[in-house]
Amino acid sequence: MIRKRLVFLLVYFVIFCAHVAVASSSPTDSLRPTLEGVIDVIRDPNLAGVDHKKVRREKVMAIATRGFDFTEMSKRALGATWRDLSQEERQYFEELFTKLLENAYIGKLEGYSGQEIVYQDERIKGNRAAVATIVKSSDTAPFSVSYVMLQSGSDWLVYDLNIEGVSFLRNYSEQFKSILRKDKFAGLVKILEEKNETFEKEESN
Amino acid sequence: MYPKIIILFTLLLLLCCSFGCSQKGSAVAFQDVVIEDDEVPVDKMDMLLNDDFFDEEKVVEQIYYDPLEPMNRVFFEFNDKLYYWFLSPLNTAYTAILPWDIRFSIGNFVNNLAAPIRLVNNLLQLKIKDAGVEISRFLINSTLGVFGFGDPAMLDFGLAPREEDFGQTLGYWGVGEGVYLCVPIIGPSNVRDLVGFTADAYTHPMVYYIDELYVSAGYYAGSRVNLLSLNPEVYEDLKKYSLDPYVSMRQVYLEYRRKKIDDNPMQRRSDNEL
Repeated sequence: MIRKRLVFLLVYFVIFCAHVAVASSSPTDSLRPTLEGVIDVIRDPNLAGVDHKKVRREKVMAIATRGFDFTEMSKRALGATWRDLSQEERQYFEELFTKLLENAYIGKLEGYSGQEIVYQDERIKGNRAAVATIVKSSDTAPFSVSYVMLQSGSDWLVYDLNIEGVSFLRNYSEQFKSILRKDKFAGLVKILEEKNETFEKEESN
Repeated sequence: MYPKIIILFTLLLLLCCSFGCSQKGSAVAFQDVVIEDDEVPVDKMDMLLNDDFFDEEKVVEQIYYDPLEPMNRVFFEFNDKLYYWFLSPLNTAYTAILPWDIRFSIGNFVNNLAAPIRLVNNLLQLKIKDAGVEISRFLINSTLGVFGFGDPAMLDFGLAPREEDFGQTLGYWGVGEGVYLCVPIIGPSNVRDLVGFTADAYTHPMVYYIDELYVSAGYYAGSRVNLLSLNPEVYEDLKKYSLDPYVSMRQVYLEYRRKKIDDNPMQRRSDNEL
């Protein structure tokens, strides 16, 4: 009986410790390599310039895909509509939305020269976490960026950015809602496709 | 002076109406209702985590009140045209004529001259320490900073401006935002902030220095062009990244203002911690 209990206790401890080990990576630890990785690629002189644009963006996106949860983003941005979509529609939407973010924001990041990220604080609540940072750049006054993250296995993945109190995801979510009300999902897809095309046209010029 | 007072009263009247709207309007604006845990958010960071705008069970709705959307969209288009046809070319010329350093100094000067607005509003919000910082900043920058063209208070003394305006003061004391407005020339606002904007004009020294509307208007326009020249890409980025720029701008404006109103305790706390 006692042995049985001991075994049970042992098993319990092993599971418990394993759980602790799995969850041991802090949100900041998960975030840091993603942000640093992206900055390193953008600053890499070997990848600079228009000629290396394709390679550079692929590298940035490879890092971003590991640190950001684009599925969660798409799901939250669409809200209730997500539930009514088929698997293919969800996948296609995620593809379009990710492409838009890639087009819009990597270009913006590439424009920044020197910037430093100061990690300020982190909070965990259930399976979600927020990491507060301050971005110090030579071009602008320092501004706050908070990353909202979701736990995924032993890692934390970003699904929202909050810049000076303005939620990036909420912004898209409200725009989508406004478009969905009028044009439904098909209309939204069309607008997204067109938006992505304008970026590609601009780039080929 | 008369028309100004009439405008102020009209706005105050609108504001009084908006007391009711801001409570009721939010419920009308959307069918979805805010449902949250009964725990009280500790501070802004925890607020981020309470932000369940997608959840299988419960939907938390962003609250805004925009019953004038059709009209606002017309003015948004107007401002958009104003920007591309007039402001943007003007800005290009302005930027070409004046180097960045000078435009930056003009920006400092404009900011320094608006110090009374920040001082009054810090006092109205009982932020005595911040009011003291504003006084120090004004004294340092007006002397060492040569009439405010430099900002040694920030660079040498590490005193950041304590941005407060009357719209924030009203918000601090619990006045609702009222109807969202996209105002021609001025841009995104709401009833509360428009009242604040008008009231702040009375604490600006410019009004007492030269009591001519066109001088004030000219000063305002000039300072806006200068501000634009320092941050040229803000509006164009917004247009570029969004699918519905009107909605995007409304969202940015409302969230940014809300943060400015209720994030101040946090800002002061982090100042103390540092």
